[in-house]
Amino acid sequence: MAKYLGKRIFYIILTLFIVSTITFFLMKLMPGTPLTNQAKLTPTQIHQIYKQYGLDKPVWQQYLVYLGGIIHGNFGTSFQFSNQPVSYLITSRLGPSLIIGGQGMVLGVLAGLIVGAVGAIRANTWVDTSATIISILFISIPSFVLAVLLQYYLGLKLRLFPIADWGGFMYTVLPTLALAASPLAETARFMRTEMVDVLSSDYIELAKAKGLNKVGIIYHHALRNSLIPVVTIIGPLAVNIMTGSMVVENIFSIPGIGEQFVKSILTNDYPTIMGLTIVYSAMLCVVLLITDIVYGLIDPRIRINK
Amino acid sequence: MKINSLAKLGGVALVTGLILAGCGSKSSQSKKQEISWMTPSPIATMDTSKMTDLYSAQVANGTNEGLLRIAKDNKVNPGVAKSYSVSKDGLTWTFNLRHSKWSNGDPVTAKDFVFSWQRTVNPKTASQYAYIFANVKNADKISSGKMAVSKLGVKAEGNYKFVVSLSKPQSYFKYMVTQPEFFPQNPKTVAKYGSSFATNATKNSYNGPFILKGWNGTNDTWTLTKNKNYWDAKSVKVKDVKFQAVKTPSTALNSYNSGKLDFTTLSGTLAANNKKNKDYTVYPQASTSYMEFNTKKIPALRNTNIRKAMALAIDKKQMVNKVMQGGDITPKGFVPADMAKRSGKDFANEAYVKAGTDYNLKEAKALFAKGMKQVGKKSLSLTLLGADDDDTKRATEFVQSQLTKLPGLKVTNQNIPFKSKLTRAQNQQFDLVLSAWIADYPDPSNFLDLMTSDNPQNDGKWSNKQYDALMKKSETTDANNESARWSDMVQAEKLLMNQQGLVPLYQQGQAALIKPSVKGVQPFPTSPQYDWAKAYVK
Repeated sequence: MAKYLGKRIFYIILTLFIVSTITFFLMKLMPGTPLTNQAKLTPTQIHQIYKQYGLDKPVWQQYLVYLGGIIHGNFGTSFQFSNQPVSYLITSRLGPSLIIGGQGMVLGVLAGLIVGAVGAIRANTWVDTSATIISILFISIPSFVLAVLLQYYLGLKLRLFPIADWGGFMYTVLPTLALAASPLAETARFMRTEMVDVLSSDYIELAKAKGLNKVGIIYHHALRNSLIPVVTIIGPLAVNIMTGSMVVENIFSIPGIGEQFVKSILTNDYPTIMGLTIVYSAMLCVVLLITDIVYGLIDPRIRINK
Repeated sequence: MKINSLAKLGGVALVTGLILAGCGSKSSQSKKQEISWMTPSPIATMDTSKMTDLYSAQVANGTNEGLLRIAKDNKVNPGVAKSYSVSKDGLTWTFNLRHSKWSNGDPVTAKDFVFSWQRTVNPKTASQYAYIFANVKNADKISSGKMAVSKLGVKAEGNYKFVVSLSKPQSYFKYMVTQPEFFPQNPKTVAKYGSSFATNATKNSYNGPFILKGWNGTNDTWTLTKNKNYWDAKSVKVKDVKFQAVKTPSTALNSYNSGKLDFTTLSGTLAANNKKNKDYTVYPQASTSYMEFNTKKIPALRNTNIRKAMALAIDKKQMVNKVMQGGDITPKGFVPADMAKRSGKDFANEAYVKAGTDYNLKEAKALFAKGMKQVGKKSLSLTLLGADDDDTKRATEFVQSQLTKLPGLKVTNQNIPFKSKLTRAQNQQFDLVLSAWIADYPDPSNFLDLMTSDNPQNDGKWSNKQYDALMKKSETTDANNESARWSDMVQAEKLLMNQQGLVPLYQQGQAALIKPSVKGVQPFPTSPQYDWAKAYVK
C-alpha cells in the first residue's frame, strides 16, 4: 500500500508540473496586460511598469523565475490585489469553497444513491418514473439557474435562508443545494442502471431462492455491488462541482476561490492564475486518488496489496 | 453500510435547519446610525500609491483625506489643508495644514505628503497612476528612473506648510489633490509593515472621517467606522457604513428588497424594471462612451462628411432608452454633462453642438453619398471593435444596425475581451472602436486632451491643427486666465463635434436604489463617486 501511495504521489507531482508548465505558456499567449489601469497608460508607461514586475523578460526566463519561486514555496504576489501574496489569497478564500463544494458533493451523491436505488427497486412504477424525472430535471437545469431560483423563492419570498453572504451553516444551505443537483442526478442515473442490472443477476435470484428477505438481499448483495461503478464517476463529479462553484459562489456572494479564478483570467493576473491552476489540479488529483482507494475498499477483487 | 443512518442524519439536519431559520429571521427597524452599502467589487488595495480602481478609491476617500476634499458642484472643501494659495505664475501652490492626527495618534504633517508623493512617483513602487503627477516638477523624469526621487517638486516647510512646484500651470490642480494618489501616508506605518503595508485593515493608519475595519485583504465585507481622531469628527453622524461586495446584480437587488442592503447599484434590465420604484435614482457619471474612427488605417474615414454621416445615422436617444436601458443619458458632447462647471454654467451646455450628437438619417444618407463621392468609393466595409461584456455587445449590435442603414456601408462586429480590445485600439488595429473614458478629475481637459494629435490615447489618430493649437493655448498662454482657458476648451469641443472627430454615444449614469431613510450621502460624477462623511439615517 505504501509503495502504491508513493508511486501515485510521484505521478501527482509530475501531473502538476506538466499542467503548470502548459498553463504558464498558454497564459502568456493571452492577449492584454495584467495592468488594472491599462486604458489610461501609454505604451512607454506600460513598458516601465513591466520592467518593475520582470514582465519585459522573455517568456522562458519568466518561467524559470516562476519555477524557482514555487520550489521555494513562493507563488508570487497578485496583480489585482496589490502586494497580496497569492498563497494568502488562496488560503483566505479556499475555506468557503471547500465547505460548499464538499457539502454539495456529499449531499448530491448520498441523495443520488437513495433516489437511484429506490428507482431501481421499484423499477417501472410511478416511483421510478418520478426518480427519472428528477434526474433529468437536475441534469438539464444549469446550477446557476437553480441557484437564482432557490435564492428568489427560498431566500427572498419564503425567507427561509439568507439570500447571499457568508457567516454560518445557514448561509451554506442554498449554495449547497444548487451544487448538489447535478451530482444527485448523475449518481441517481448511474445507480439506477447498475442496480437494475444487479437485481436481475443470477446471485440475486439465488438469494431470493434461498428465501432471504428483500431488505437483506438489497442491503447485503445488491447495494454494495451496484456501488462499484458509481464510485468511478466521483472524479468527474468533483470537476463538475469545482466549475459549478465558480458561478454559484458569485450568485450567493460567497467569499470563495472559484470566482477569483475566473476574475484572475479576465484580468491577466498571472501569479493568481498559476496558483489556482495548481490548487485545482491538486484537488482533482487527490479526489481521484481517494476514489481509487475507496474502490479497493468496496471491491475486494481490485484491492491493492502490492 | 452507513448510508441509511447518514441519510437520516442529513434529514434531521435539514429539518433542524429549517426550524432554526424560522427563529433566526427578525425584522427590527431601529434608527441605528448604520448604513449597509453594496459595492460591485472587493477592495483591491488600500495602498494609495498602488490604487487604480474606483471601488478602492471610494473606500480610501472615506478612510483618508488629502489636502482638499472634493465637494458638491465642482467645489473643493478644506481637508488637511486649512487654506491654500497659488503664485501669480500658477506654478507654486502653498498649502497651510491644520493640526490633525492619524488614527494611531501620530500628527499628520507636511512630511507625510512629501513622503507619500515621492513614494508614488518612485519607479520602484511601480504605481500605475504615477502619470497623474505629470505636472508636478520632475515627476516624469523620476518615474522613468532618470532622476532621484528627492528632486520631486514638493517640500515641507516646517511641519504644517506644504509647497508644490508645478512644471506648468494647472488650474485644476485643486481637484487633483482631492484624489487618493495625492493623500498623505504615515511614514512610520509604511516602514513598519514594509511590503505588507495596507494589505489588510490593521496594517494601515487613517486620517479620514472613518477607519477601516474587518477587511482581511481578500474578503468581501468590511466596515467604515467613525474615526474619533478625525479633525472634523463632530460632523460625522453615521457610526458604521457596512460594505458588502456583491458581484451578481440580481443578488444585490434581492438583498436590497429583503432589507439587508440600504443601497444597491442596478444595471441593464434590472435598472429598466425598477425605474418606477420610489427608491430609484440615477447618478450621472463623468464618463462618455464613444465611437472612434481609425483615420490612420482607413483613408475614407479622414473625410469629414463620412464621419458626420455615420454620427447622424446613430439614434442616441433610442440607444439610451431602448438598448442600454440602465441609467445612461443621451450625450451632449464628448465632455460629459454635470461634470465641469464655471460660474454655474455647465461646460457641456456651453460647448453644445446639436449636429455632433443629433440623429437625422436623411441628412446622414445625403452626407454619406457626398463623402463617398469625394473619396471616390462606391462601398465601404468596416469592422466595429468592442469589448465582449453584455453592455458593449448590445451597444455594438445597435450601432451596427444603425450604420448599415447608410447605402454602401457594411459593418461587421467584433467583440473581444476588454483588455485585448484596449491593446488593439492602442495599436490602431481596428476600423471603428467603441471606447469609454472616465474622468480622473472634473476638468474638461481630462477628456479633450485625449484627442490632441500626439496623445497616445487618441486611438483613431484624428488630427486637427486648430484643435491642437486651442488645447495648447489652454495649457500655456491662457493657463492662468480661467475664463480664457474655459473659452479655449469650449471652442475645442465645438470644433471636435463639428468635425466629428469621434461620435459620443451615451454618457454613463449609475442607476441605483437607495433607502429613503439614508440621507446626506454625497454623490460625485468623478471618483470617488460617493462620500459618506455627512451621511446619516433618519
